[in-house]
Amino acid sequence: MQLFAARAFDPPGDIPALRKQVRALVAAHEHRWTLEQRTNNWFTFDAEFSRAMGAAGLVGMTWPKQYGGHERHSLERYVVLEEMLALGAPVGLHWIADRQTGPLLLRYGTETQRQKYLPGMARGEIYACIGLSEPNAGSDLASVRTAARRTPEGWRVNGQKVWTSGAHHCHAALTLVRTEEGSQRHAGLSQLMIDLDTPGITIRPIVDMTGTEHFNEIFFEDVLLPLDALVGPEGDGWKQVTAELALERSGPERYLSCHALLAALIDAVGPEPDDATAQAIGRLTSELWTLRQMSMACAAKLAAGEDPNVEAALVKDLGNAFEQELPRVVQSLITDDLADHGDLARLTAWLLVASPSFSLRGGTPEVLRGIIARGLGVR
Amino acid sequence: MSEAREPLTDMAEGLFGDLAGQDFAAAWPRLTEAGFETLLVPEAQGGFGGDWGDLAVLLKIAGAKRLGLPLAETVIARWLLAKAGIDAPDGLITFAAQTHRAPWGRHAAAVIVQSADGCALYPAAACTWDHGRSPAGEPRDALTLTGDPLVTIATADDLATLLGFARVAEGAGALEAALTLTVDHVSTRVQFGKTLSQFQAVQQALALLAEEAAALTIAANGAAVALDGWEQGLGALAGALPLFEIAAAKARLGLAVDRGVPIAHRLHGAIGFTMEYPLNHLTRRLMGWRSEFGGDATWQRKLGRLASAGGSKALWETLTARSDSLIPQG
Repeated sequence: MQLFAARAFDPPGDIPALRKQVRALVAAHEHRWTLEQRTNNWFTFDAEFSRAMGAAGLVGMTWPKQYGGHERHSLERYVVLEEMLALGAPVGLHWIADRQTGPLLLRYGTETQRQKYLPGMARGEIYACIGLSEPNAGSDLASVRTAARRTPEGWRVNGQKVWTSGAHHCHAALTLVRTEEGSQRHAGLSQLMIDLDTPGITIRPIVDMTGTEHFNEIFFEDVLLPLDALVGPEGDGWKQVTAELALERSGPERYLSCHALLAALIDAVGPEPDDATAQAIGRLTSELWTLRQMSMACAAKLAAGEDPNVEAALVKDLGNAFEQELPRVVQSLITDDLADHGDLARLTAWLLVASPSFSLRGGTPEVLRGIIARGLGVR
Repeated sequence: MSEAREPLTDMAEGLFGDLAGQDFAAAWPRLTEAGFETLLVPEAQGGFGGDWGDLAVLLKIAGAKRLGLPLAETVIARWLLAKAGIDAPDGLITFAAQTHRAPWGRHAAAVIVQSADGCALYPAAACTWDHGRSPAGEPRDALTLTGDPLVTIATADDLATLLGFARVAEGAGALEAALTLTVDHVSTRVQFGKTLSQFQAVQQALALLAEEAAALTIAANGAAVALDGWEQGLGALAGALPLFEIAAAKARLGLAVDRGVPIAHRLHGAIGFTMEYPLNHLTRRLMGWRSEFGGDATWQRKLGRLASAGGSKALWETLTARSDSLIPQG
């Protein structure tokens, strides 16, 4: 029973030159970044770098030129992403706009919405977040209760979102709301593109266990939005949200979160590691190489216009397990005290504490395995 | 990919299934007649003209169909001899590579021996064998040479590496087949008034098995395309055997067996532990293949040293330059 077919990764253009461009851009900015920021890079915010990426044509790469995009191939974008992640460049500010919100507006948004948001997003200047989870709607996303009522003045929104990554730095939140009063589960949901400076919105950061403020609560109290904040047809929210998930699950961010630590281990032990260390590095490299092959195959399937829903769940579950194991493997090998100031100790300490987050963003292991089981026909 | 891959796989699906479980003397001539032996020999030299991707697909089918025959060994041997311009003798040609036991050595017409002294082809008459058996019960024989070689073979390639690749491809087929058996079993077996597949705990365990099967399939494919890139002399893959990819894939086989095999057995209960039920013919091979031509420690260390040799920056540059070499140039 085969769930995962191999596929050639075949972007057009000069890929080595594209990698060189990205590496040079990172080299020009990296003096600003701490070690911890570099390993937490898709949650680290550096507006100067996001704008530099925009200016270099590396945000909104696949979007039409009329909206500020560059009409590059999605696999060229994949190459840029994996380089940014492997090199530890902070891409957190524009990450969601580039990966999800922009493409979703291109697919479902009105012309006004596209004109309003996309060019700024592609310049690396307009940032977006995703308002999905609520206090009582996490893995069970269909139980969202935040309500938007259509009134003659516009949409009236009341409710609360939580775990919204980066909201405190973002201009807009694509928000899943219940637009049909009394509707249940997947029906009656819609997405609204909400400017976060609208009166009635309160954003409160939640300090996570690393001590970082990256996710937030968003409160909506009688927030009045124009009727054209609605994205796509009313009632299509669930369809829009699930269409995004493969984009969110199969990318290189699902196995490269701890790459900086593998790199630090390699650099700390030098070119001739002892047997035990060589073995650990080899084991981790074997998983890294395999996950990269899998992630690239998923990207190729997406690029061909197909939906790698099950493959994406496989990559994310295996990738998260690998990322979470990596700091534990390194910890078991090294003799450094975790309070030491060296790169290896600092990264190990940081990633041990940060790694529980890897399996919660984009679907828990149990949710992902449920999707895989459905792919196997047993659910 | 060679154009003939589809008819090739159709034929393999049928034949390998028929031959599974038959003894060597009965099965081997049928495999030979079908022409699989010369898969990698160029057409100009009278062979099939296939590539490593074709071999991977064929070996995956062999693994899934529980074909207990030295197909990989004879295909790789004939490729090597053709490359060296040596006429291959008829019959099974197997390998005594370094200190590894020779698969089906006792049945071989000739043996390619590779050691620190070089590489040569020996006739059966020059060999005595210490018979051994793999966990799956297949012949794995240790060679003592008692005569002279037919011919020496000039090769820079480590043959155990190529045979290690073959085990990954076979393993990918076997683990996928174990997944299929397991899905079928839990979907039909009723306990506590419902099929086992309706229990969430069972679904979650099945998903983990599917992840390992998928990873191994992709690893086998990744190693095969690297081998094809190497033979075509593409970019960073030109030169020495693609040790990086094969080491990574063989090490991944170790992890996949370690994690996947126990799940397949656990979900089968006692039925999976019987000789009659087919699962053991897959899992005993997987357990054995994990060690053959270098086990976890060997390949993990080799890969770890390759990954460390130039520092971390070089590792990423190597990974990307090697896969970029495979991108078709429009």
